Amino acid sequence: MSEQSHAPEMAEAANAAAHGEHAAHPEHAETTVLFGRELPYPLYTVVFFGLGILTISEVLVAEVFGGGIRVPILLALAAVKAYLVIYYYMHLKTDSRMFAIALLLPLFVALVSMMFVLITPPGSY
Amino acid sequence: MSEITVHESKAPVIHDPQEEARRNDNHKFAMWLYLASEVILFAVFIGGYALFRLNEPEAVHNAHDGLGIGLVSINTFMLLTSSWCMVMGLREIQRDNVRGMLRWLGATAALGTLFVGLQWVEYRELSHLGITLDIASSVEAYGGFGMRFYAPTFFHGVHVVIGVIWCLLVMRRGARGEFSSKRYTGVETFGLYWHFVDVVWIILFTLIYLI
Repeated sequence: MSEQSHAPEMAEAANAAAHGEHAAHPEHAETTVLFGRELPYPLYTVVFFGLGILTISEVLVAEVFGGGIRVPILLALAAVKAYLVIYYYMHLKTDSRMFAIALLLPLFVALVSMMFVLITPPGSY
Repeated sequence: MSEITVHESKAPVIHDPQEEARRNDNHKFAMWLYLASEVILFAVFIGGYALFRLNEPEAVHNAHDGLGIGLVSINTFMLLTSSWCMVMGLREIQRDNVRGMLRWLGATAALGTLFVGLQWVEYRELSHLGITLDIASSVEAYGGFGMRFYAPTFFHGVHVVIGVIWCLLVMRRGARGEFSSKRYTGVETFGLYWHFVDVVWIILFTLIYLI
Protein backbone atom coordinates (compact mmCIF):
# COMPACT_ATOMS: atom_id res chain seq x y z
CA MET A 1 0.00 0.00 0.00
CA SER A 2 2.76 2.41 0.86
CA GLU A 3 4.85 4.28 -1.65
CA GLN A 4 7.79 2.16 -0.54
CA SER A 5 6.12 -1.17 -1.35
CA HIS A 6 5.06 0.19 -4.73
CA ALA A 7 8.55 1.43 -5.54
CA PRO A 8 10.05 -1.88 -6.83
CA GLU A 9 7.23 -2.29 -9.36
CA MET A 10 7.61 1.30 -10.50
CA ALA A 11 11.37 0.85 -10.78
CA GLU A 12 10.87 -2.35 -12.76
CA ALA A 13 8.53 -0.56 -15.16
CA ALA A 14 10.99 2.30 -15.44
CA ASN A 15 13.86 -0.07 -16.15
CA ALA A 16 11.80 -1.85 -18.79
CA ALA A 17 11.02 1.50 -20.38
CA ALA A 18 14.68 2.49 -20.28
CA HIS A 19 15.60 -0.63 -22.22
CA GLY A 20 12.78 -0.25 -24.70
CA GLU A 21 11.04 -3.38 -23.34
CA HIS A 22 7.72 -1.64 -22.79
CA ALA A 23 7.04 -1.98 -26.50
CA ALA A 24 7.09 -5.79 -26.21
CA HIS A 25 3.55 -6.74 -25.23
CA PRO A 26 2.50 -10.39 -25.03
CA GLU A 27 -0.96 -9.28 -26.21
CA HIS A 28 0.58 -8.44 -29.58
CA ALA A 29 0.99 -12.10 -30.54
CA GLU A 30 -1.28 -13.17 -33.39
CA THR A 31 -2.06 -16.50 -31.73
CA THR A 32 -3.17 -17.53 -28.24
CA VAL A 33 -2.49 -20.79 -26.44
CA LEU A 34 -5.61 -21.91 -24.56
CA PHE A 35 -5.69 -25.22 -22.64
CA GLY A 36 -2.66 -26.41 -24.63
CA ARG A 37 -4.20 -25.59 -28.02
CA GLU A 38 -2.95 -22.76 -30.20
CA LEU A 39 -5.81 -20.58 -31.45
CA PRO A 40 -5.26 -18.36 -34.53
CA TYR A 41 -6.54 -15.23 -32.73
CA PRO A 42 -4.93 -12.57 -30.52
CA LEU A 43 -5.53 -12.82 -26.75
CA TYR A 44 -8.01 -9.91 -26.72
CA THR A 45 -10.15 -11.60 -29.38
CA VAL A 46 -10.14 -14.92 -27.50
CA VAL A 47 -11.32 -13.08 -24.36
CA PHE A 48 -14.04 -11.42 -26.44
CA PHE A 49 -15.23 -14.85 -27.68
CA GLY A 50 -15.29 -16.01 -24.06
CA LEU A 51 -17.38 -12.99 -23.04
CA GLY A 52 -19.81 -13.68 -25.90
CA ILE A 53 -20.19 -17.36 -24.92
CA LEU A 54 -20.74 -16.41 -21.26
CA THR A 55 -23.40 -13.83 -22.24
CA ILE A 56 -25.28 -16.40 -24.34
CA SER A 57 -25.02 -18.85 -21.41
CA GLU A 58 -26.46 -16.21 -19.07
CA VAL A 59 -29.47 -15.60 -21.31
CA LEU A 60 -30.06 -19.37 -21.69
CA VAL A 61 -29.81 -19.95 -17.92
CA ALA A 62 -32.24 -17.07 -17.28
CA GLU A 63 -34.72 -18.47 -19.79
CA VAL A 64 -34.39 -22.21 -19.00
CA PHE A 65 -33.72 -22.51 -15.27
CA GLY A 66 -36.31 -21.65 -12.66
CA GLY A 67 -36.19 -21.34 -8.89
CA GLY A 68 -33.33 -20.50 -6.59
CA ILE A 69 -30.51 -22.24 -8.51
CA ARG A 70 -30.75 -19.59 -11.25
CA VAL A 71 -29.51 -16.72 -9.05
CA PRO A 72 -26.13 -18.15 -7.95
CA ILE A 73 -25.38 -19.41 -11.48
CA LEU A 74 -26.14 -16.01 -13.02
CA LEU A 75 -24.12 -14.17 -10.38
CA ALA A 76 -21.17 -16.53 -10.94
CA LEU A 77 -21.32 -16.03 -14.72
CA ALA A 78 -21.46 -12.22 -14.28
CA ALA A 79 -18.49 -12.37 -11.88
CA VAL A 80 -16.43 -14.36 -14.41
CA LYS A 81 -17.28 -11.86 -17.17
CA ALA A 82 -16.34 -8.89 -14.98
CA TYR A 83 -13.10 -10.64 -13.99
CA LEU A 84 -12.15 -11.27 -17.64
CA VAL A 85 -12.68 -7.60 -18.57
CA ILE A 86 -10.80 -6.27 -15.53
CA TYR A 87 -7.94 -8.78 -15.69
CA TYR A 88 -7.24 -8.74 -19.43
CA TYR A 89 -8.79 -5.59 -20.92
CA MET A 90 -7.96 -3.30 -17.97
CA HIS A 91 -4.52 -4.94 -17.74
CA LEU A 92 -4.59 -5.85 -14.06
CA LYS A 93 -2.82 -9.03 -15.17
CA THR A 94 0.33 -7.05 -15.96
CA ASP A 95 -0.08 -3.68 -14.23
CA SER A 96 0.88 -2.69 -10.68
CA ARG A 97 -0.90 -4.41 -7.79
CA MET A 98 -1.64 -0.93 -6.42
CA PHE A 99 -4.26 -0.54 -9.16
CA ALA A 100 -5.97 -3.75 -8.06
CA ILE A 101 -6.02 -2.55 -4.45
CA ALA A 102 -7.54 0.77 -5.56
CA LEU A 103 -10.41 -1.23 -7.07
CA LEU A 104 -10.81 -3.99 -4.50
CA LEU A 105 -10.85 -1.81 -1.39
CA PRO A 106 -13.99 0.20 -2.25
CA LEU A 107 -15.57 -2.95 -3.71
CA PHE A 108 -15.06 -4.73 -0.39
CA VAL A 109 -16.47 -1.77 1.59
CA ALA A 110 -19.47 -1.55 -0.76
CA LEU A 111 -20.18 -5.30 -0.50
CA VAL A 112 -19.98 -5.34 3.31
CA SER A 113 -22.22 -2.25 3.56
CA MET A 114 -24.70 -3.80 1.15
CA MET A 115 -24.83 -7.04 3.12
CA PHE A 116 -25.59 -5.11 6.31
CA VAL A 117 -28.46 -3.33 4.56
CA LEU A 118 -29.80 -6.52 2.97
CA ILE A 119 -29.86 -8.56 6.18
CA THR A 120 -31.81 -5.83 8.00
CA PRO A 121 -35.45 -7.01 8.24
CA PRO A 122 -37.90 -4.97 6.12
CA GLY A 123 -39.61 -2.20 8.05
CA SER A 124 -36.81 -1.74 10.56
CA TYR A 125 -35.05 1.05 8.66
CA MET B 1 -12.26 5.25 -43.36
CA SER B 2 -9.71 5.76 -46.17
CA GLU B 3 -10.02 9.56 -45.85
CA ILE B 4 -8.50 9.59 -42.36
CA THR B 5 -5.61 12.04 -42.35
CA VAL B 6 -2.94 11.41 -39.78
CA HIS B 7 -0.61 14.32 -39.19
CA GLU B 8 3.05 13.98 -38.47
CA SER B 9 3.69 12.91 -34.88
CA LYS B 10 3.54 15.75 -32.37
CA ALA B 11 4.36 13.44 -29.51
CA PRO B 12 7.19 15.02 -27.53
CA VAL B 13 10.55 13.33 -27.72
CA ILE B 14 11.12 11.37 -24.53
CA HIS B 15 14.46 12.24 -23.03
CA ASP B 16 14.03 10.24 -19.83
CA PRO B 17 12.14 6.95 -20.33
CA GLN B 18 12.13 6.26 -16.59
CA GLU B 19 10.42 9.56 -15.92
CA GLU B 20 7.94 8.84 -18.72
CA ALA B 21 7.10 5.38 -17.29
CA ARG B 22 6.58 6.92 -13.85
CA ARG B 23 4.35 9.64 -15.30
CA ASN B 24 2.27 7.03 -17.16
CA ASP B 25 1.80 4.96 -14.01
CA ASN B 26 0.70 8.08 -12.10
CA HIS B 27 -1.89 8.88 -14.79
CA LYS B 28 -3.27 5.35 -14.67
CA PHE B 29 -3.30 5.26 -10.88
CA ALA B 30 -5.27 8.54 -10.82
CA MET B 31 -7.80 6.94 -13.17
CA TRP B 32 -8.09 3.87 -10.92
CA LEU B 33 -8.75 6.13 -7.92
CA TYR B 34 -11.50 7.89 -9.86
CA LEU B 35 -12.99 4.51 -10.78
CA ALA B 36 -12.87 3.54 -7.09
CA SER B 37 -15.20 6.47 -6.32
CA GLU B 38 -17.47 5.30 -9.13
CA VAL B 39 -17.63 1.83 -7.55
CA ILE B 40 -19.21 3.38 -4.43
CA LEU B 41 -21.67 5.45 -6.51
CA PHE B 42 -22.90 2.46 -8.51
CA ALA B 43 -22.94 0.29 -5.37
CA VAL B 44 -25.57 2.65 -3.91
CA PHE B 45 -27.79 2.19 -6.99
CA ILE B 46 -27.25 -1.56 -7.07
CA GLY B 47 -27.88 -1.88 -3.31
CA GLY B 48 -31.09 0.12 -3.66
CA TYR B 49 -32.28 -2.15 -6.44
CA ALA B 50 -31.31 -5.34 -4.56
CA LEU B 51 -33.27 -4.16 -1.54
CA PHE B 52 -36.34 -3.48 -3.68
CA ARG B 53 -35.92 -6.87 -5.40
CA LEU B 54 -36.00 -8.63 -2.01
CA ASN B 55 -38.90 -6.68 -0.57
CA GLU B 56 -41.10 -6.36 -3.67
CA PRO B 57 -40.63 -9.60 -5.68
CA GLU B 58 -44.11 -9.36 -7.24
CA ALA B 59 -43.49 -5.91 -8.72
CA VAL B 60 -40.14 -7.08 -10.15
CA HIS B 61 -41.76 -10.22 -11.58
CA ASN B 62 -44.46 -8.13 -13.29
CA ALA B 63 -41.87 -5.73 -14.64
CA HIS B 64 -39.73 -8.60 -15.99
CA ASP B 65 -42.73 -9.84 -17.99
CA GLY B 66 -42.87 -6.43 -19.65
CA LEU B 67 -39.11 -5.89 -20.00
CA GLY B 68 -38.11 -8.87 -22.15
CA ILE B 69 -34.43 -9.63 -22.71
CA GLY B 70 -34.16 -9.66 -26.52
CA LEU B 71 -33.34 -5.98 -27.04
CA VAL B 72 -31.16 -5.65 -23.97
CA SER B 73 -29.19 -8.80 -24.89
CA ILE B 74 -28.32 -7.22 -28.26
CA ASN B 75 -27.37 -4.03 -26.42
CA THR B 76 -25.17 -5.97 -23.98
CA PHE B 77 -23.41 -7.70 -26.85
CA MET B 78 -22.77 -4.32 -28.50
CA LEU B 79 -21.18 -2.90 -25.35
CA LEU B 80 -18.97 -6.00 -24.98
CA THR B 81 -17.96 -5.64 -28.64
CA SER B 82 -17.14 -1.96 -28.07
CA SER B 83 -14.81 -3.00 -25.21
CA TRP B 84 -13.05 -5.41 -27.55
CA CYS B 85 -12.74 -2.64 -30.20
CA MET B 86 -11.27 -0.32 -27.56
CA VAL B 87 -8.58 -2.77 -26.48
CA MET B 88 -7.75 -3.59 -30.12
CA GLY B 89 -7.33 0.15 -30.73
CA LEU B 90 -4.84 0.31 -27.86
CA ARG B 91 -3.04 -2.70 -29.34
CA GLU B 92 -2.71 -0.87 -32.67
CA ILE B 93 -1.19 2.29 -31.16
CA GLN B 94 1.22 0.15 -29.16
CA ARG B 95 2.34 -1.17 -32.55
CA ASP B 96 2.63 2.41 -33.90
CA ASN B 97 -0.37 1.98 -36.21
CA VAL B 98 -2.27 5.26 -35.75
CA ARG B 99 -4.75 4.58 -38.57
CA GLY B 100 -5.59 1.18 -37.11
CA MET B 101 -6.18 2.78 -33.71
CA LEU B 102 -8.49 5.39 -35.24
CA ARG B 103 -10.54 2.70 -37.00
CA TRP B 104 -10.99 0.63 -33.84
CA LEU B 105 -11.81 3.68 -31.71
CA GLY B 106 -14.30 4.83 -34.37
CA ALA B 107 -16.04 1.45 -34.02
CA THR B 108 -16.01 1.87 -30.22
CA ALA B 109 -17.71 5.28 -30.45
CA ALA B 110 -20.25 3.98 -32.99
CA LEU B 111 -21.19 0.99 -30.82
CA GLY B 112 -21.48 3.22 -27.74
CA THR B 113 -23.82 5.55 -29.65
CA LEU B 114 -25.92 2.57 -30.81
CA PHE B 115 -26.11 1.33 -27.22
CA VAL B 116 -27.54 4.65 -26.02
CA GLY B 117 -29.94 4.75 -28.99
CA LEU B 118 -31.32 1.30 -28.21
CA GLN B 119 -31.61 2.21 -24.54
CA TRP B 120 -33.79 5.16 -25.56
CA VAL B 121 -35.97 2.80 -27.65
CA GLU B 122 -36.32 0.53 -24.61
CA TYR B 123 -37.25 3.45 -22.33
CA ARG B 124 -40.01 4.45 -24.77
CA GLU B 125 -41.42 0.91 -24.79
CA LEU B 126 -41.35 0.73 -21.00
CA SER B 127 -43.06 4.11 -20.57
CA HIS B 128 -45.85 2.86 -22.87
CA LEU B 129 -46.21 -0.17 -20.60
CA GLY B 130 -46.65 2.17 -17.63
CA ILE B 131 -43.23 1.75 -16.02
CA THR B 132 -42.47 5.36 -15.18
CA LEU B 133 -39.99 7.19 -12.99
CA ASP B 134 -42.71 8.67 -10.82
CA ILE B 135 -44.42 6.06 -8.63
CA ALA B 136 -47.72 8.03 -8.70
CA SER B 137 -48.06 7.76 -12.49
CA SER B 138 -46.69 4.20 -12.73
CA VAL B 139 -49.06 1.26 -13.26
CA GLU B 140 -49.85 -0.19 -9.82
CA ALA B 141 -48.54 -3.68 -10.63
CA TYR B 142 -45.01 -2.29 -11.07
CA GLY B 143 -44.96 -0.36 -7.79
CA GLY B 144 -41.74 1.59 -7.38
CA PHE B 145 -39.83 -0.47 -9.95
CA GLY B 146 -39.53 2.49 -12.36
CA MET B 147 -37.31 4.58 -10.11
CA ARG B 148 -35.13 1.57 -9.18
CA PHE B 149 -34.77 0.67 -12.86
CA TYR B 150 -34.31 4.06 -14.51
CA ALA B 151 -31.91 5.53 -11.93
CA PRO B 152 -29.02 3.03 -12.39
CA THR B 153 -29.55 2.42 -16.12
CA PHE B 154 -29.83 6.15 -16.92
CA PHE B 155 -26.79 6.96 -14.77
CA HIS B 156 -24.90 4.26 -16.66
CA GLY B 157 -26.19 5.61 -19.98
CA VAL B 158 -24.81 9.06 -19.10
CA HIS B 159 -21.43 7.40 -18.53
CA VAL B 160 -21.63 5.84 -22.00
CA VAL B 161 -22.43 9.26 -23.56
CA ILE B 162 -19.45 10.82 -21.74
CA GLY B 163 -17.33 7.86 -22.92
CA VAL B 164 -18.35 8.39 -26.56
CA ILE B 165 -17.44 12.11 -26.36
CA TRP B 166 -14.13 11.21 -24.69
CA CYS B 167 -13.47 8.60 -27.39
CA LEU B 168 -13.98 11.20 -30.12
CA LEU B 169 -11.56 13.56 -28.34
CA VAL B 170 -8.96 10.77 -28.10
CA MET B 171 -9.45 10.11 -31.82
CA ARG B 172 -8.89 13.80 -32.59
CA ARG B 173 -5.67 13.76 -30.59
CA GLY B 174 -4.67 10.56 -32.40
CA ALA B 175 -5.33 12.13 -35.82
CA ARG B 176 -3.15 15.07 -34.79
CA GLY B 177 -0.32 12.64 -34.19
CA GLU B 178 -0.20 13.02 -30.42
CA PHE B 179 0.03 9.26 -29.78
CA SER B 180 2.70 6.74 -30.69
CA SER B 181 4.01 3.36 -29.53
CA LYS B 182 6.02 5.20 -26.86
CA ARG B 183 3.28 7.58 -25.80
CA TYR B 184 -0.23 6.18 -25.49
CA THR B 185 -1.28 6.85 -21.88
CA GLY B 186 -4.19 9.01 -23.10
CA VAL B 187 -5.60 6.03 -25.00
CA GLU B 188 -4.99 3.61 -22.14
CA THR B 189 -6.58 5.91 -19.55
CA PHE B 190 -9.70 6.30 -21.68
CA GLY B 191 -9.72 2.52 -22.12
CA LEU B 192 -9.83 2.01 -18.34
CA TYR B 193 -12.91 4.23 -18.14
CA TRP B 194 -14.64 2.52 -21.05
CA HIS B 195 -14.00 -1.00 -19.74
CA PHE B 196 -15.23 0.03 -16.29
CA VAL B 197 -18.50 1.22 -17.86
CA ASP B 198 -18.69 -2.20 -19.53
CA VAL B 199 -18.12 -4.01 -16.21
CA VAL B 200 -20.90 -1.97 -14.56
CA TRP B 201 -23.26 -2.98 -17.36
CA ILE B 202 -22.32 -6.66 -16.93
CA ILE B 203 -23.53 -6.38 -13.31
CA LEU B 204 -26.65 -4.31 -14.12
CA PHE B 205 -27.67 -6.64 -16.97
CA THR B 206 -27.53 -9.69 -14.71
CA LEU B 207 -29.10 -8.06 -11.67
CA ILE B 208 -31.91 -6.05 -13.28
CA TYR B 209 -32.82 -8.04 -16.37
CA LEU B 210 -31.94 -11.67 -15.66
CA ILE B 211 -32.43 -12.27 -11.93
